[in-house]
Amino acid sequence: MKFSTFNEATDAVMQMIRAGEGDFNHLALALFALQKEHVPAYRDLCQTRSITANHWRDIPTVPTSAFRDLEITSLSPKTRTTAFHSSGTTGATYSCHWHDSSSLAVYETSLRAGIEKNLQPNNCQILALTPPPTEVPHSSLSHMAATAHPSVVFGGCITDTGWSIDHDIIYRACAKAIQTQNPLLIIGPAFSFVHWLDQLDAPIALPATSRVMETGGYKGRSRELSKTELHKLISKNLGVARNHIVCEYGMCELSSQAYDRIAGQQTAAAFTFPAWARSRVISSETGSEVDDGDTGLLQIFDLANIRSVLAIQTGDLAVRRGEGFELVGRATQSDPRGCSLALAEN
Amino acid sequence: MDLPNYFIIDTQPEARLSPGMITEACRQLKRNRAQYLRDIPTAQTITLLAQLADNWRDDLFPFRKMALEAGQEATGFSSASLARGLDEFFARITEENLHNLITQELGDPRRLDAPLATPEERADNRTAFARGPELIGHITAGNLPCPTLMSLIYGLLVGSAQFVKCAENAGFVPQLFAHSVYHTHPKLGACIELARWPGGDHPLEEALFNEADCVVAVGRDETLEAIRSRLPNGKRFLGHGHRVSFGYIHKDFLSRAMARELAKNAARDVAAWNQLGCLSPHVFYVERDGAVRPEQFAEMLSEAINELEQSEPRGEITDAEAGEIAHRRSCYEIREAHTGDVRQWMSEDSTAWTVVYEEESRFSTSCMNRFIHVKAVANLDETLHAAEMARGQVSTVGLAAPKSEAEAMVIQLAHWGVTRVCPIGQMQNPPLGWRHDGRPSLGDLVMWMDWEL
Repeated sequence: MKFSTFNEATDAVMQMIRAGEGDFNHLALALFALQKEHVPAYRDLCQTRSITANHWRDIPTVPTSAFRDLEITSLSPKTRTTAFHSSGTTGATYSCHWHDSSSLAVYETSLRAGIEKNLQPNNCQILALTPPPTEVPHSSLSHMAATAHPSVVFGGCITDTGWSIDHDIIYRACAKAIQTQNPLLIIGPAFSFVHWLDQLDAPIALPATSRVMETGGYKGRSRELSKTELHKLISKNLGVARNHIVCEYGMCELSSQAYDRIAGQQTAAAFTFPAWARSRVISSETGSEVDDGDTGLLQIFDLANIRSVLAIQTGDLAVRRGEGFELVGRATQSDPRGCSLALAEN
Repeated sequence: MDLPNYFIIDTQPEARLSPGMITEACRQLKRNRAQYLRDIPTAQTITLLAQLADNWRDDLFPFRKMALEAGQEATGFSSASLARGLDEFFARITEENLHNLITQELGDPRRLDAPLATPEERADNRTAFARGPELIGHITAGNLPCPTLMSLIYGLLVGSAQFVKCAENAGFVPQLFAHSVYHTHPKLGACIELARWPGGDHPLEEALFNEADCVVAVGRDETLEAIRSRLPNGKRFLGHGHRVSFGYIHKDFLSRAMARELAKNAARDVAAWNQLGCLSPHVFYVERDGAVRPEQFAEMLSEAINELEQSEPRGEITDAEAGEIAHRRSCYEIREAHTGDVRQWMSEDSTAWTVVYEEESRFSTSCMNRFIHVKAVANLDETLHAAEMARGQVSTVGLAAPKSEAEAMVIQLAHWGVTRVCPIGQMQNPPLGWRHDGRPSLGDLVMWMDWEL
C-alpha cells in the first residue's frame, strides 16, 4: 500500500475509523512513508537514523515536547486552519498541533467514534466543565466536547488564573437533568471536578445512568487527589455510579483517545485505543518494548494524526497491560531529588 | 542491617510516633546535653570528630562497610559513588580544619569554652563568649547525606543537642553516622536523636518546634516558607532553599591539553552524587574563540563521563527519572537532526549519562543523574544574561579563567548573586569553612554574650 497524497491517506483512515477495523500495519507504514516525506523535521530525523520501517513498531516516534520546539506538521502556514495547544501552567511554552479542515474532520470522526463506543451518550444531555471553543479555540478538550454533541452546555469560563467553573450554569444543567430525569454526561479534566465539588453545598443525585468522562490532569490547578479518591468524590456528590465514571487519555498531539472502560461495565480495564491507534510501552534504558506488567515510557501510534506524525513518544510512564496500558504518571518535570531545583521551563 | 536501638529511627517503621514521644525525646536530649556535652572543651570535641572522620575513610570501619554494602538500595548511589562522596567529605574533617573553621567563624577556637577577646575587642576592653543553641531541630531533605552530616558536625562543635527529622526513605547515612558517634563516645551520641516521618506532619513537627530553640531546614522554598510560618515566636530559623550551579570556561583555558584536563574535572562534578546536589552543575558555559571549540569540549566531556562511568557507575534510578532522560534525549535527537544547532552524546542502551551541546545559551535545568548541558557563549556578560531565569538561585560557579581576569569575574558573579566560586572538579567538594548560601555556618548558629570589663 502506498499513498501518493494526503487525501488518499485521509480517505483510507476515515474508512478504517468508520468500519472500526482495518489493516493497521499497512496503513501505518503507508502513512509513515508520506509523513516522512512531508514533515521536514521528521524527514531529517529519519534520514539521520537511516530508518527503514517494515512494521509499524519500527516507525520512529517524535516526542511530545518536539511539538513545542519545532513545527511538526506537513501543512504550510497558510493551510493551517486550527491549532490545538497543550495546557501548561501560565507563562510556560506549549505544544502546537495544527490541522486543516480535512485533518480536523478525521480528528472529529475519530473522537466521536471513541465517545460513542465508550460513553454511549445517545440519550444524554452533555455538560462540559470547560469553557466553550469560542473562548478557548486552542483547547482540544473543549473542541472535543463541542464535537460530541451540538447542544453541549459549557460550564467552564476563563478567569485571570486560568480555567474556572461557572457554578450557575452547572447548577442549572444538573437541576434540569434531575427534573427531566434525562441522564447527564459530564466531561471535564480532574481539576475542574475538584473545583466544582469542593464548593458544592450538598450532594446531588443525578438521574440513573448519568455518566462522567474524566481526563485526569491537575497541573497544579487544584488540590490533587488519587484517581480512587476523585472517583469517590464524584460518586458521592453527584450520585454517579462508579462504573459510570470513565477515564479518558488524550492530548493535543493526538487525534484519538484511549478509554479505560465502557460506561456501565463493571470493572475498569487498562486504557485501550480504538482499532486505528496502538500503544507501546518501552524501556527508558534500552528503547525496546517492555514485558507485560512492566513499567516504561508510553508511545502512541495514531493513524488519525494525518498531517503531523502518527508515532508519538509521550512523557508518560505506564505499565504495559496486554495491548493496553495503565497510567503511572508523568516522567517529565518530575520532582528532582536531593537539593536541586526544577526551574520553570519558560 | 544489624544496629542496636539507640535512636527512634532504629525502631521505625514498627514504632508509631506520637507528639508526646517527640517532646519527651527532645527533653531527654536537653538533659543529656546539660550533663555531657555543654561543658566538653571544644578541643576535645574536635579531636573526637577528626578521629571519627578518619575512621570513616577506613575500609574496615564497620559503619562505612555497612553504608557501602547497603548503599545502592538504601541511598540510590552505587557503592563507588558513595565511597568517593564520603571520602571527599570526611577528608575535610581534620583537627586543623575544624580549628580553622571556629577561628574563621568566631575569631578564636576557644570562644565556645570561655569569654575571650580578639585584639579588636581587647582594645574595646571587653571579651565575648559564644554558645550554641540548647536544641537544634533539623528538617533534612532528600537523598544527599553530606549536608545532614555537616549540620550534625556543626551542631556538635557548638555543643548543641540535636534532633534530626529525616525525610521518608532517607536518612540512612546520617543514621549510621549517629551510630558511629554513639559507638565512639556514647555521651555525645546521647545528645543526638533521629526519626523519620513524612514532611508536613504537623503534630510531630509542632512538638519538635516547641522544644527546639533553633530550626535548620533544607528543602523547597515552599517547604521552608511553610515551616517558617509555623514556628513559634522567638525561634531561630535557618533555611536553605534549593539551588543550582553551573560551570564557566574562559577561552584561554581551551588549549587541547587544558580542555582535556578540564573535561575530566567537569565529569567528576557531573558524576559526584549523581548530580543531585545544589552544588552540582546543570550547564557548562564555554567561551567561543578558544583553540578548542565549545562543541569539541562537549565531546571531550562525553568521553570523560563515559570513562568515569566504568569506574564509578551511576547506578540504577527510578522509572520516572529514566523516563525523563529518555524523553529529553528524544527531543534533542530530533532537534539535532533538524536544526543543526544541537549535538548529543549518550551512553548506549542505558540512561547512564548524556551530554547535550547547544548553540543557544539560555540556562537549562538538567534532569540530573548525569545529564549535562554544554553551551557556547561569547563572555560572562552573555552568560549572566542567559542565566537570568536562575538568578538568586545559583549557588556555585565552577570557574576556569586566567588569574588576570578571574578577580573581576568573581566580583561580577558576586554582585549577580552567586555565593561560591571554585575550580572545576571541586564543585561538590566545598571546604569546611564554606559559607552555605553565603551565610556563616557556625556564626548563624551561636548566640553571643559580650562581657564589658
